[in-house]
Amino acid sequence: MSEVVELALALLVVVPVLGATLPLALGLLRDQVGWAVAVAVLAVEAGLAARVAYDLAIEGSRVVHVLGGETFGRKSQELSSGESTEGFAVGIELVGDPLSGLVVALVAGVSLGVLAFARRSGPRGNAFYSGYLLLTGGLMGVALTGDLFNLFVFLEISGLTTYALVASGRSAPSAVAALKYLVLGTTGASMYLIGVGYIFVRTGALNMVDVSETLAGNVEFLDTEGALYGDPLVVAAFGFIAVGLATKAAIFPLHTWQPDAYAEAPDTVTVYISALASTAAAYALARVTWFVFTPAFFDAGAANRRVLEFLLVLAATSVVVGSALAAMQPRVKRMFAYSSVAQFGLIVIGIGVAVHPAAGEQATRFAVYGVGIHLVGHAVIKSGLFATAGALSAATGARRVGEYAGLARERPFLAGGMATLGFALVGVPPTVGFIGKWYVALGAVEAEHWPLVTVIFVSTVLSLLYMARVLEKLYFAGSPDATGEPAEEIAGSPGGAGGAVAADGGDTAESITGESADSDEPVTTDGGGSASLGMMALALTAAVLTVVLGFAGSELSAVLDPVVEAVVDAAPEVNP
Amino acid sequence: MIEPATSDPRPILAVLLSAVTILLILASHRYPNVRESWSVLAAVGKFAVVVSMLPGVLDGTEYRWSMGEFVAGIEFALRADALGMVFALLASFLWIGTSFYAAGYMRGLDEHSQTRFFAAFAASLSAAIGIAFAENLVTIFLFYELLSVATYPLVAHDETDEARAAGRKYLAYTFLGGGVLVLAGTALVFALSGTVSFSAVAGQGTAAGLGDSSTALARAAFTMLAAGFGVKAALMPLHSWLPDAMVAPTPVSGLLHAVAVVKSGVFGIARLVLDVYEPALVAELGVGIALAAVAAVTLTAASIIALRADRLKRRLAFSTVSQLSYIVLGLGLVGPAAAANAGLENVIKGGLLHIPAHGFMKLTLFFCAGIIHVETHTDYISEMDGIGKRMPLTMLAFAVAAAGMAGIPLVAGFVSKWFLLVGSVSAGQAVFAAVLLVSGVLNIAYFWPIVYGAFFESHDRADSKPLIEGPFGGELFGSAAPAGGTAHTDGGPRTDGAGGDGHEHRQDGEHGKDSHGETHSPDGEHASDHGKDSHSETHGHHGGPGPGGWERVGWTGAEGSWLMLGPILVVVAGAVVLGLVPFQVGFLELIEAVAEDAATGVTA
Repeated sequence: MSEVVELALALLVVVPVLGATLPLALGLLRDQVGWAVAVAVLAVEAGLAARVAYDLAIEGSRVVHVLGGETFGRKSQELSSGESTEGFAVGIELVGDPLSGLVVALVAGVSLGVLAFARRSGPRGNAFYSGYLLLTGGLMGVALTGDLFNLFVFLEISGLTTYALVASGRSAPSAVAALKYLVLGTTGASMYLIGVGYIFVRTGALNMVDVSETLAGNVEFLDTEGALYGDPLVVAAFGFIAVGLATKAAIFPLHTWQPDAYAEAPDTVTVYISALASTAAAYALARVTWFVFTPAFFDAGAANRRVLEFLLVLAATSVVVGSALAAMQPRVKRMFAYSSVAQFGLIVIGIGVAVHPAAGEQATRFAVYGVGIHLVGHAVIKSGLFATAGALSAATGARRVGEYAGLARERPFLAGGMATLGFALVGVPPTVGFIGKWYVALGAVEAEHWPLVTVIFVSTVLSLLYMARVLEKLYFAGSPDATGEPAEEIAGSPGGAGGAVAADGGDTAESITGESADSDEPVTTDGGGSASLGMMALALTAAVLTVVLGFAGSELSAVLDPVVEAVVDAAPEVNP
Repeated sequence: MIEPATSDPRPILAVLLSAVTILLILASHRYPNVRESWSVLAAVGKFAVVVSMLPGVLDGTEYRWSMGEFVAGIEFALRADALGMVFALLASFLWIGTSFYAAGYMRGLDEHSQTRFFAAFAASLSAAIGIAFAENLVTIFLFYELLSVATYPLVAHDETDEARAAGRKYLAYTFLGGGVLVLAGTALVFALSGTVSFSAVAGQGTAAGLGDSSTALARAAFTMLAAGFGVKAALMPLHSWLPDAMVAPTPVSGLLHAVAVVKSGVFGIARLVLDVYEPALVAELGVGIALAAVAAVTLTAASIIALRADRLKRRLAFSTVSQLSYIVLGLGLVGPAAAANAGLENVIKGGLLHIPAHGFMKLTLFFCAGIIHVETHTDYISEMDGIGKRMPLTMLAFAVAAAGMAGIPLVAGFVSKWFLLVGSVSAGQAVFAAVLLVSGVLNIAYFWPIVYGAFFESHDRADSKPLIEGPFGGELFGSAAPAGGTAHTDGGPRTDGAGGDGHEHRQDGEHGKDSHGETHSPDGEHASDHGKDSHSETHGHHGGPGPGGWERVGWTGAEGSWLMLGPILVVVAGAVVLGLVPFQVGFLELIEAVAEDAATGVTA
């Protein structure tokens, strides 16, 4: 049976990539076929992912798929000294373990779910759906690969398609945002590649397990003279890799691409990338930090400890700065984007605490739980928030916090969903947002890293700063007309000043509308004044899932137990 | 408790009953009578479930329900024990009366968003019972946060600028207290002792582990938890959300901010002192005396501020702040009492008995304030001279409850105060007994003028009220009154301290905001009061008696709707019953069980 799962690992990557050609191919025959193709392909993908995730997460197994199999894949070689390299050679593996199982399930679920949103919201071109499927394939590859360079390849595939999807907004701001994302993202990926290059120079390997063993000095036929953890090249490699992945995960101060990208992309794309783009990068950082470098690396010298502390400082600053900047944003999507910066700061704190020299077994355990659960939990919450915001925008045209005034009366279910997701973001139990934060905080407490503890707990109030504003506007701010946004007064009001202005002549009205409306956003409502069933379904499912997962804390942590064992033992792989 | 806990679904049933009611209330938003009956049914049902567990708990059985592991090593579990039953009984019983009262109040004022109001009310009660029955710190934290979320819509209900500002302050304070401090304390306790369960059986709870850990960390955890719970318990300086929250409709101020929310804060402190740390460890760490000191300061300072408040609800709010600290004082004295091995049972009994005692009395007072507002639109004490003619039953209930607050025998407040006095003296902390006595005098000082003015004065020949109108520092030494009238701290009337034409003067006073610019009390009483004034202005309210004075209404209940009068009379009767026969109503028996447990834990 594990052969099925082994094959499924490869299929998980191959199916969407091959499927990405279909919208373009079939597009020669008929227009607008992209959405249907995407649904079909991703449904197959979801089935595969369910099977794989069940095996990996629930049964806790570790499955390896050697690309090229017996014939073309990794082979043992005979060395001149007569030893065998036991498969230690350049060759790519796909590896599934409980941690990647969670991410696989997340990617498949979100990809399929967002299509419900995209039906009405668009964009509608075949090229868009090709890119969408390619992105799914890339993200699956990030989750499943066991090779450092292969990880770069998949990061780039995901990255390039993300830039294209962000630009599919077809407006000037979208193009600028995509360009910004491209420049910063490629720089980050290049940093990562430099790090991998240094690793390759020092260890001669690219496979994650092989590199890990070599760095630990455990490979007999290589004359490494003990662990390589203190080697400046290796320490520099970690620095480059961490910075590169932190750029992709939008950690302060490398986050500046994220608010623009999230805000200017079409609503559908924002829902998708908010859940998955930075999540995959954070997962990759966890994977490399925990299993390639292992906690032993961070204990091996003053420089190593300093690198880790630096990463933790950046992450903690992210938490504070992200929330503070979020509280200042008048536009909802930008606000949620900065919120992501803060939340990923929390996740990177967890990643760092798990390998911290001062962290005992309990601290590592809780930090690993926290990272795993918050990776998934935050993805659900953030995509749910963007879906709700997108649905509200489609239904009422509201894109700024001020325009949300009194919307709870018109759209009670969407407002209720936003309230649930908002409180989940703040960390109110019994939502999944609480579980992740609880574990990360507990890990920091066990490690007795008091500055981090303070930052984590204070982040609750910081998240409240921006979330409470939105909720107060939704429920307690009276009617939308009462807030006096100039665009609405002129655009909507039949009598009084608005009418008089319009009566003066189209010029005056237009010029005023042009000034007061968002200068960098086209004032269109995609759905033509209503939120489709798909949008509402996605938004409400996310809200419900947040609470359901909030009660699954112990089940999720049970899934991550093998991962904890591996990290505590400084093992290169998660063995069942 | 020697017997192990019996597994029983009733604790979670009590919690979920009103949670399910939320949906029913939302569904019947078009049928007000059906909607209100859901509230009443849920209240009665909840009380029935809680009371059904009372005989067993008095016998020593504890009812436990668990959902299994919630996070690693911690269960989501409810346990009905003696301490929890005290709070649960209080909240569920008083909700019955409040549902009727709230219906009368909201209809009397023709309020908006009533469905949201009643749904949030049901959610709040659900969370309150959850807090009462929580078995460990994480479960109590869960319900504590849900209580903050559920009560926020009630605070911001009016949707005016003032209400929104009060709501924001409320969220900031309660999430700071709950989400930051309580959670941090809980995490620290879990890290130090490996468990978060309240000690049901000696050795299985948190106290053992905490005792073994570093003193500094144990003290830090205690401080964080005490401060976190102390926000809702309105300990100074974390109390300022409470006066501002008075902008909420009076049923909210009554049940939630005098009974459920604030009592959940003191209940949390009770759990902290009695079950998380246990008296022996509290004494060892020396944190009890610090808590008692904070309580004593709050007691006195709040009473002094109350003297100055002209707005009735504001005065009641500061009275609440003060009275809650009676409970915290009793709990803080557990430390010195355990160390001296004397007076422990009495301080616990005094502190905990004040939970129901104050609940009944303060709810009566708030209900009276509410019915006065609905019937006569009067909010200011200086306009209430002679109102005993117009609202005799109400002011009689007010007088009885006020007497109880001051500690007059035969009303509930006396018994708890007695135990506190005796206990603090036995524990060798007589200074706190002195503080209590001074506070009793201050209580009389700020309640007696209201009662006297209502019954024995009339609107046009009332004596002056120097405490409200005079300058700070008094006539001799105080700052000269600024031009345009004496400095008011809450926008009240009376520029000349004469008689009842304060009505006209008050209209001027409202608009002459500059004259009030001088004195800003630290809690921004200005802004909130002015906002409320303008709110009542826009609704065309006119506080105070008409030009002919108060009309005389008989004692037959014609003064207001029976939906409101009935609950007032029932609750004040409850307060008297608690004072007359405290041992027969269940509360004191439960509390004696708690006190005995704590005492055996110390001497064992």
